[in-house]
Amino acid sequence: MSSRRSSRGSISEEEINELISKLQSLLPNARRRGSSQASTTKLLKETCNYIKSLHREVDDLSDRLSDLMSTMDHNSPGAEIIRSILRS
Amino acid sequence: MDTKSTPPPRPHQIPNPSRPDFLACWAAASPSKPMLAFHFLRALSRIHGVTTVRRRTRTIRRAAYSSMARAASPRRAWSRALLGQARARRSRTLTGRAVLLRRRRITAAAPPQPSSPASRSATIIAARGEISTAAARPLPPRQEGEPPRADALRRLVPGGAGMEYCSLLEETADYLRSLRAQVQLMQGLIDLFSCQ
Repeated sequence: MSSRRSSRGSISEEEINELISKLQSLLPNARRRGSSQASTTKLLKETCNYIKSLHREVDDLSDRLSDLMSTMDHNSPGAEIIRSILRS
Repeated sequence: MDTKSTPPPRPHQIPNPSRPDFLACWAAASPSKPMLAFHFLRALSRIHGVTTVRRRTRTIRRAAYSSMARAASPRRAWSRALLGQARARRSRTLTGRAVLLRRRRITAAAPPQPSSPASRSATIIAARGEISTAAARPLPPRQEGEPPRADALRRLVPGGAGMEYCSLLEETADYLRSLRAQVQLMQGLIDLFSCQ
């Protein structure tokens, strides 16, 4: 596979298509379409939505973690175990 | 320099511009879950003193992104961008407006003139981060076949503003994998803690 790039980036189409197909395989819905140009835009849009939903999920999970940590302080033995593991 | 707990050995090669082993670099860049857990749990164990719930949530979220960036390979531009943002935020909150003014003066005049060693390291690091982002931001690279949707993707992926389209796609894939691993880790921790 000759992937030659000049200094100002004339990247071959096959590289881009390969990258896009790899990206598609990472998305949650495993729809396998033919790689036409229209689905590239849709793929990028789905990627953006997926990243946004993952960000929201991180926020939500950190919220729940902070609630758990507030109730967990010096209470359960599990916290003591974890803290002692981290300390050593 | 392999981490002792990950079974697949990662080939640590500098990616050439011509990318001969393109697929090998791609396949080797999976995030290491034990390192992720280590960094995140260590960050969590430092959080005890914060009392306000909102501030703790924000601290946990920042710790999540920082540990995600630390567990990733420093070759990744998004990892460097995340750590640079965290560093800039820390120096900004610690030293306040004086550092901001000094940073602007440093980036305006090229040779840095530090006054004390502690502030010197902070301002040099901050100036470097400032210079790199200031150099990257007014220069969005124009691609020929790039769809307009890539702009939104650039805004979402950290450090995506200064990348070419090809590397943007690669960074996005790695960022997605790391994000997914981080979400799985946090979900697993919550399940673990709520069963106690």
